[in-house]
Amino acid sequence: MTLDRLSPGSGLQAFPPPETWDDWREYDPKEWPRRVEKRYMLVPTVCFNCEAACGLLAYVDKDAMRVRKFEGNPLHPASRGRNCAKGPATINQIHDPERILHPLRRAGRRGDGQWRRASWDEVLDEIGGRIRAAFREGRRNEVMYHVGRPGHERTMDRILKAWGIDGHNSHTNVCSSSARLGYALWSGYDRPSPDHANARFILLLSSHLEAGHYFNPHAQRIVEGKLAGARLAVMDPRLSNTASVADYWLPTYPGSEAAVLLAMAKVILDEGRADLAYLERWTNWRHFMADRHPGGELRFDSFVAELTEHYREFTPEMAEAESGVPREKIVEVARLIGAARGAFASHVWRGSASGNLGGWQVSRALQLLTVLTASVGTPGGTSPHGWNKYKPVFWEEPPGQKQWNDLLFPKEWPLSHYEMSFLLPHFLKEGRGKLDVYFTRVYNPVWTNPDGLTWLEVLKDEALVGLHAALTPTWNETAVFADYVLPMGMAGERHDIQSQETQDGRWVSFRQPVLRAARERMGESFRFTYEANPGEVWEEDEFWIELSWRIDPDGALGIRRWFESPFRPGEKLTVADYYRWIFENAVPGLPAAAAAQGLAPLDYMRRHGAFLVATGVHGLQESPVAVPAGAAKDPVTGLVTAAGKAIGVEIDGNVVAGWPTPSRRLEVFSPTMKEWGWPEEALPGYIRSHVHRSALDAAKGEMVLIPTFRLPTLIHTRSGNAKYLNEISHRNPVWIHTTDARRLGLRTGDRVRVTTEIGYFVNRVWVTEAIAPGVVACSHHMGRWRLHEGEGSRWAAARVSLQQTPDGGWLMRQLDGLGPFASADPDSRRIWWSDGGVHQNLTFAVHPDPVSGMHCWHQKVVVSRGEPEDRYGDVFVDTQRSMEVYREWLGKTRPGPGPGGLRRPLWLDRPLRPAEEMFKA
Amino acid sequence: MNYAFLIDNRRCIGCHACSVACKAEHEVPLGVARTWVKYVEKGVFPETRRTFQVTRCNHCDDAPCVEICPTTALFRRRDGIVDFDGNRCIGCKACMQGCPYDALYIDPQTETAAKCNFCAHKVEVGLEPPCVTVCPTQAIVAGDLDDPASRLVHLVARESVQVRKPEKGTKPKVFYIDGDAASLVPSAAPPMSEYMWSQAPPTPAAFGAMAASEEGGGPRRTYGVREQHRNSWGWKVSAYLWTKSLAAGCFLAPALAALASGARGPEPVPLLAALFFLAATGLLLVWDLRQPKRFLWTLTRPQWRSWLTRGSYVIAAYGALLALQLLMALAGREAPRGLTPITMLFAGGTALYTAFLFGQAKGRDLWQSPLLGPHLVVQAMTAGSALFVPAWLLWLLPLNGLLVAGEAWGHHATEDARRAARLIQEDRRFTTGVLAVGHLLPLTLLWGTGQSWLAGALALAGLATWEHLYVQAPQQVPLS
Repeated sequence: MTLDRLSPGSGLQAFPPPETWDDWREYDPKEWPRRVEKRYMLVPTVCFNCEAACGLLAYVDKDAMRVRKFEGNPLHPASRGRNCAKGPATINQIHDPERILHPLRRAGRRGDGQWRRASWDEVLDEIGGRIRAAFREGRRNEVMYHVGRPGHERTMDRILKAWGIDGHNSHTNVCSSSARLGYALWSGYDRPSPDHANARFILLLSSHLEAGHYFNPHAQRIVEGKLAGARLAVMDPRLSNTASVADYWLPTYPGSEAAVLLAMAKVILDEGRADLAYLERWTNWRHFMADRHPGGELRFDSFVAELTEHYREFTPEMAEAESGVPREKIVEVARLIGAARGAFASHVWRGSASGNLGGWQVSRALQLLTVLTASVGTPGGTSPHGWNKYKPVFWEEPPGQKQWNDLLFPKEWPLSHYEMSFLLPHFLKEGRGKLDVYFTRVYNPVWTNPDGLTWLEVLKDEALVGLHAALTPTWNETAVFADYVLPMGMAGERHDIQSQETQDGRWVSFRQPVLRAARERMGESFRFTYEANPGEVWEEDEFWIELSWRIDPDGALGIRRWFESPFRPGEKLTVADYYRWIFENAVPGLPAAAAAQGLAPLDYMRRHGAFLVATGVHGLQESPVAVPAGAAKDPVTGLVTAAGKAIGVEIDGNVVAGWPTPSRRLEVFSPTMKEWGWPEEALPGYIRSHVHRSALDAAKGEMVLIPTFRLPTLIHTRSGNAKYLNEISHRNPVWIHTTDARRLGLRTGDRVRVTTEIGYFVNRVWVTEAIAPGVVACSHHMGRWRLHEGEGSRWAAARVSLQQTPDGGWLMRQLDGLGPFASADPDSRRIWWSDGGVHQNLTFAVHPDPVSGMHCWHQKVVVSRGEPEDRYGDVFVDTQRSMEVYREWLGKTRPGPGPGGLRRPLWLDRPLRPAEEMFKA
Repeated sequence: MNYAFLIDNRRCIGCHACSVACKAEHEVPLGVARTWVKYVEKGVFPETRRTFQVTRCNHCDDAPCVEICPTTALFRRRDGIVDFDGNRCIGCKACMQGCPYDALYIDPQTETAAKCNFCAHKVEVGLEPPCVTVCPTQAIVAGDLDDPASRLVHLVARESVQVRKPEKGTKPKVFYIDGDAASLVPSAAPPMSEYMWSQAPPTPAAFGAMAASEEGGGPRRTYGVREQHRNSWGWKVSAYLWTKSLAAGCFLAPALAALASGARGPEPVPLLAALFFLAATGLLLVWDLRQPKRFLWTLTRPQWRSWLTRGSYVIAAYGALLALQLLMALAGREAPRGLTPITMLFAGGTALYTAFLFGQAKGRDLWQSPLLGPHLVVQAMTAGSALFVPAWLLWLLPLNGLLVAGEAWGHHATEDARRAARLIQEDRRFTTGVLAVGHLLPLTLLWGTGQSWLAGALALAGLATWEHLYVQAPQQVPLS
């Protein structure tokens, strides 16, 4: 048979036209060159691997009613039909023969590896009953939800507020909270949204051409900008793929980045390259001057002079001494940044900010360059994320909870930007509280967090954690220590809306269970998504609704009402209701766009998968503000307040919105830092890292380990079941520079012991010119393990033994590597690699930054040839020592309460923001 | 219409999305790849740089894989795509010798040859291949070289572009903007035993791994996949060359001797021996096929430009003539005048055709030798004489030795040929096995003691060793 060509001639199109998606026909590649027709329904959804939320298009085979493959969704405004390797690899995850298809209840002791199948009803009844009891007994803070990858917008905010608990915990303090705090101190917005495509100069302290927030959409636009003439500089001690294609690779010694950035700022100030008019208009220089010279005259030129003086020590020579980057290069890049005025795009997310003590000063120093070049929120500049990120609202918003959970926001870290999540087991061990019901959701702290064996010790203790339910699409090292393992859907198996600040533009995307969507389009109907998904794989949206009804079946607790339909009062909310309401009422422009195609908004999103809400969002700080009667204006700063709250700022006689900071300006000077105990850090500055050269003992041979670098092919511990990705990348040797290797007598492949504060791991080395001397690096993702047959993924996890040594330490040893195994997928017999890498994070003590609360990832280590008894993959950890290191870092904090007896500043955002009165200590 | 790819290295970020999209589209099994991204690093810190190269079938206008394929399983479509049909493939792996780019592999699921086919099934309905659509940075362009309006033609015309191994004359059609010599030339950064985040897939090693410096500023490969062509022809092919020499020589040498002595043809014993070795040759050939049941397709579905096809007919004709002569000899009837010379012609053809077949193996530089034809005939004569006319070894062994020396130490046109020759020179099986045991010792024996049977046996062992080295060495040279 012959199919028609889409267009005459030899021209090729990227995608089947959307009007053909209901019944798309193409030839079966497996039968080719026999022309055998395949009929597909193409259903858009959203990738659930990294956080970027790129569009996918599921090819649902209409005969087999099975997903055949995932391509990109051309209608998605950020990913534009393109994906990284993890997009098409979603098909591996869906068809993984090792995946968990049914709810599991533990059968033996926790962690023993004994499981039995459970029904969803049983799961809901037990967990719902337990939560109900806790709520009725006033133990609201004993219920905690701990999330790794959210993948949705405000969903859990609404649910947990409806439950009235301060129970939202996240992964953010092992991820990005330092960078976030630095950005937030400037503008109240805690993320950057660079417009790479239109930039004249791009500076990345990240590896956005291969990883991170938001790899694929950013890579598209960075390369676009580069081809259009932008220059690209990358700071990274390791030659990332990103650094490789940069015009300038600045291999900064770990932790020295802020010094280099401030040296660049000094060049820009000294050489008159700063946009002073912008600074005068938009920074809170008056607050700075008033603070320095109480009662004195506030002159802008004096401010510029004092600012310049403030940074006098950051000479290019000093920056070179700190970073190892030649001064000429620093000056050259600084001048180019200055010349890019108005179109300087930059980004730091994890990298240096998450590696080092004081990492929040890195993003703050970077933003100083953005402000000096007047590139905040401009075309080609760096916008605050809130301008480009869509957030839904709901038909009814539950009020802030009347709870404050000290396990999440303890008094020692009043400025911690997110929850002190990675210290949860340490807090529990210290007796600060206990958990009755603990949900981990797409979250694997035993593997991902530092000091995972302390997590393991606490998770096994039923007195500290009453019930642990792991909501996860795949096996992970944490789920092994759960009472319930609850399989939740992957990209094409769940509903969510998601939006990210990937570009100059604001969009919303719709993830959907594609088999359910396809079968509903063909006329079937389903009560629950697990009826259409493989096995009984469910989705959280429906799970939480059902669970909430079981927690409060009669509505007496005041919870059920939040889970009733906005369209059918008193009846149970459905996912269709939920998204229908949002798409009809809370996405500007969507109803009209849908109507233009004769579709209801929900159907429009089901068929398009994404919607562009706005583009060219610039200069929002200049938006006029209506001043209510009774508003007050500060004659000096122009700050306009109403009912004690800053609402805008008067500039040139007009009241405009400004920024969501106490001064409504960009806070080059942070009164908050001063008032909350850190006066020496009131300006963007440079804090010597815990791995600064001066902190290393050269006599012991100490080096810095960068343990965080990511690969373009993997995502944390969620992609271990993607065979195509594992085939490309499956081990994580320790990168070491040629000169260091020579000093230690090492060659590529040699076994080494890497000793940390609390233990060691045994890995092999990769001798390379792609890393700074004195620095070693070991990539994230690899070194997965499983304790028992029948749990864990054989694609990526090696079987290990885990034993306590007589002196209380833990020794993990690989029993066998990876290898072929029999399964329904013939490829599992073809696994040709035998090495899945080595787990390093277990050997890291916790390093909570005393200000941001972020775990400071970089490690002081000694690399040695090790002991004869060492075996590849060995991990040894002393958890008593890790508690000691925890206490050392606890000692660095400056506890609250702060001014006004507050637990934390009211103006700084807080996840799951409680009722305002709860901020009072 | 002539489809081609353009890889824009100004855009490529080495993310492997193309490789995975391809695997997902075609369900390409683990262990093999239709397209992959090679990483090469150069320079010394802090001037180190890593380059990426999307590496795949070149859809050559003069595709050697199509020419060498005996059954039209590989074919060039009218739109310029080099496609394949696994249902016609006998699994002879000749295409893997023919392709100088390491584009082909044997699919472990189907046991037939496969490679990038430009997603012809998509192109035919007017869609780009998924490797193109998935690419985050639009670094891969698929287009029609004959369409002046295409983006591909525009870029090829405006930018300076490179191709892999233009000297092979295959007219490759994967063009690279900013192609990097250290990546384009496989031996500039040869495969390593491990990579920056992966193991190197195991390849059966016939020789010691090619040593590459892991330190210093020279180019080094930091990500690669299995060299799929490597050792695709193993001992069975080496043995086939040897039994084929015997099959041809067991007739040629005795027939020459017989004609010289005025007889019409050889005795039944050499005829029987020739038939035996010819049968062994056929058996080895069939045994080496990944689809042995399809062996007759070389005759029944011939692709006439392939010397594998032509050789099969030569062997078949030679076998028929041998059988005829044997029957007549056994029946006590004298062969008609002219039959022996005709059979000799086919015996010679049987020995010789492999030179043309190996000549079609564009991936093997060492085999592109003008000496190979004469050498195969001399090898056949040597083998036959070793069994039936040992006295002739006194002149055949020196002659064969000269040809061996020519292959090993003579002038080689390309660096890759020299590389393979060097592998032979440095191998002890060559110096000890081929030269000492296979040539010097038998000559000494013949001169000194006249122990002709032992001399013959040693000469045959030398021939076998040589065949093995000669077949294997060029397969160690990296092609991608």
